[in-house]
Amino acid sequence: MINTPIQPKIDPANPFVGRHSRNQTLESFVRWVLRCGTLVIVSVTAAIVLHIAVKGAPVALSREWPFVNVAFLTELPSTLHVIQDNQGHIIETDVNGADAIKMELGANLREEKTISYSGGGILGPIVGTAMLVIVSVGVALFLGVASAIYLSEYASHGTFIEMVRLAILNLAGVPSVVFGLFGLGAFVLTAPVFTNSPLDRAIFTLPLGFTTLSFQGWDTCVLSGGFTLAFVILPVIITASEQCLQAVPLEFRETSMALGATRWQTIWRAVLPFATPGILTSSILGIARAAGETAPIMFTAALAFKDKLPWQKDQISLPADASLFAHWEQNIQRFLAIFTESVQALPYHIYTLAARIPQNEYSERAQYGSVFVFLILVASLAATSIWMRRSLRAKYKW
Amino acid sequence: MPPSASSPKQLPPVVEFRGVDFRYSTHTVLHNIHLSAERNRVTALIGPSGCGKSTLLRCVNRMNERFVGARVSQGQVFVKGKNIHDTDVDLTQLRKQVGMVFQKSNPFPKSIYDNVAYGLRIHGVTAKDILDDAVERALRSAVLWQELKDRLNQNALRLSGGEQQRLCIARAIATNPDVLLMDEPCSALDPIATLQIEELMQQLARDYTVIFVTHNMQQAVRVSDYTAFLHLGKLIEFGDTEELFSNPKQKLTESYLRGTFS
Ligand SMILES: Nc1ncnc2c1ncn2[C@@H]1O[C@H](COP(=O)(O)OP(=O)(O)OP(=O)(O)O)[C@@H](O)[C@H]1O
Ligand SMILES: [Mg+2]
Repeated sequence: MINTPIQPKIDPANPFVGRHSRNQTLESFVRWVLRCGTLVIVSVTAAIVLHIAVKGAPVALSREWPFVNVAFLTELPSTLHVIQDNQGHIIETDVNGADAIKMELGANLREEKTISYSGGGILGPIVGTAMLVIVSVGVALFLGVASAIYLSEYASHGTFIEMVRLAILNLAGVPSVVFGLFGLGAFVLTAPVFTNSPLDRAIFTLPLGFTTLSFQGWDTCVLSGGFTLAFVILPVIITASEQCLQAVPLEFRETSMALGATRWQTIWRAVLPFATPGILTSSILGIARAAGETAPIMFTAALAFKDKLPWQKDQISLPADASLFAHWEQNIQRFLAIFTESVQALPYHIYTLAARIPQNEYSERAQYGSVFVFLILVASLAATSIWMRRSLRAKYKW
Repeated sequence: MPPSASSPKQLPPVVEFRGVDFRYSTHTVLHNIHLSAERNRVTALIGPSGCGKSTLLRCVNRMNERFVGARVSQGQVFVKGKNIHDTDVDLTQLRKQVGMVFQKSNPFPKSIYDNVAYGLRIHGVTAKDILDDAVERALRSAVLWQELKDRLNQNALRLSGGEQQRLCIARAIATNPDVLLMDEPCSALDPIATLQIEELMQQLARDYTVIFVTHNMQQAVRVSDYTAFLHLGKLIEFGDTEELFSNPKQKLTESYLRGTFS
């Protein structure tokens, strides 16, 4: 006999009455598992953000106008001196203040504590991170967009190109400390420079007559770190750019070519303008990534401590009549010199504060303050990205 | 059998296929095509889906060659008396003089002005007055000037489907081509917009040589001077439109026109 489906009895009053089958149980079980998973993620994220906000906001913000702790954002990090007198009053000050106060207190001094890096502000790390981000995003955008254009518009689709794509994707999975070592070897120690007096450590020198091209590396500096970071974010930028290019309808290209445009004219006028919003949006996420990486800049650009901003070095002094344009060559040189300085960087500064010095309430304060500022910066980048995507979407829809 | 000799010719053809075979990488889709389109005449290409009408049309401005392995494997295509596969033919110059309008209207998401000026800018025109002039002329030819002259800076995507298609025609004729290729230009339009485009095509024939693909028999009758019927990559019949529709010489043509096609 053939299996006939069992006809359940139908309740005439409610033909849709629920049947408690296994399916229904499974349904609600799965729904709850998924819901819990999401809840865990949301609550952990919220806990992290709250924790940082509670501990960091009092450091970076202030109760009175202008509601931010200006000193924290505009001073360089320094050693914090905490002086306690016999009455139990606690005074926080820097090196210079400490001597005067000790003199004044005389015998009334109970104890003096010094906590490295925890005084002053975090201007140095902010400036350093900004410069690293500018260099890395500039380099990565140029290289990334160029290769994305090549891959999606020029290269014929074959196994070789697929392998290149795969390699790029794999690059995204390389641990960032490996990029750090790569940067150390490639940019700090071997990258070519023009110089009249090559160092002995140069791997290879190429005399050019008026100067020498020496493969002696760029040293630990913004340039080395920026280039290293560029390679960290390249896979993201290439993949995203390629997607954005591919999202531009094929008809735009056909129409343009049918009007007699060359391939580059087509890309420049009928593809790139419509892909740019997306490329920029995704590169902002690249900025957040570059700003947050520690390992790649540890060997290539960042110092734990530096008491000068990159442009505060002794510069080539200009003649007295110096105007901005009269000595443009020197001015350019001075500008470029900024990028050959090592810097402090926010993530590395946080690492130093959290792991390299003895922990106490003062170092913790500096630490959470930095983390809070960092978080705000990254969050505002992400917000910009979302806002940009929205407004540009509306403008370049087809 | 080459049917090109069947139509009366007074003017030298602007576009001429001489025994053309076209193949995509794996298979040949056009076989021994002999066809010519005369100056200031409208030529319609009809035939069942997949018979190679678009391929034939796109041979004239060599747009097929974007695909790997796609090429004319035999015969020659002449445009204005020049073999377009000669090595001294510059593709950009060829395409400047052979305009194309696609099935789906596809203006760039730019202003109306920028759309029409696109071709000229590509060919190096930057002078504002020349551009203004050409844009106005092209829009007038496409019967759009009266409608659009006050909102040239508006985004072209905000136009209606019919206006968009006429804008695409304006864009194609802005570079002043000799030949205008149209691949099912009305298939996405409503009857009224279709009629407008048809009228426009006949007007355009005064200045240009129009070759177009259509699935609409009435349209071919209404608009074209000559009709070519293709089937499975072969040109079955080519001749005066009235003649071909009222008195087809080939059995295949007859059954296709009657709709008793298998
Ligand atoms: N890029 C391509 N690569 C390989 N084969 C193609 C390609 N484009 C078209 N073909 C094939 O060539 C043949 C003719 O195609 P074509 O587009 O010219 O037909 P058509 O007559 O325009 O059809 P329709 O009326 O549906 O537009 C079809 O069999 C099609 O599958
Ligand atoms: Mg077609």
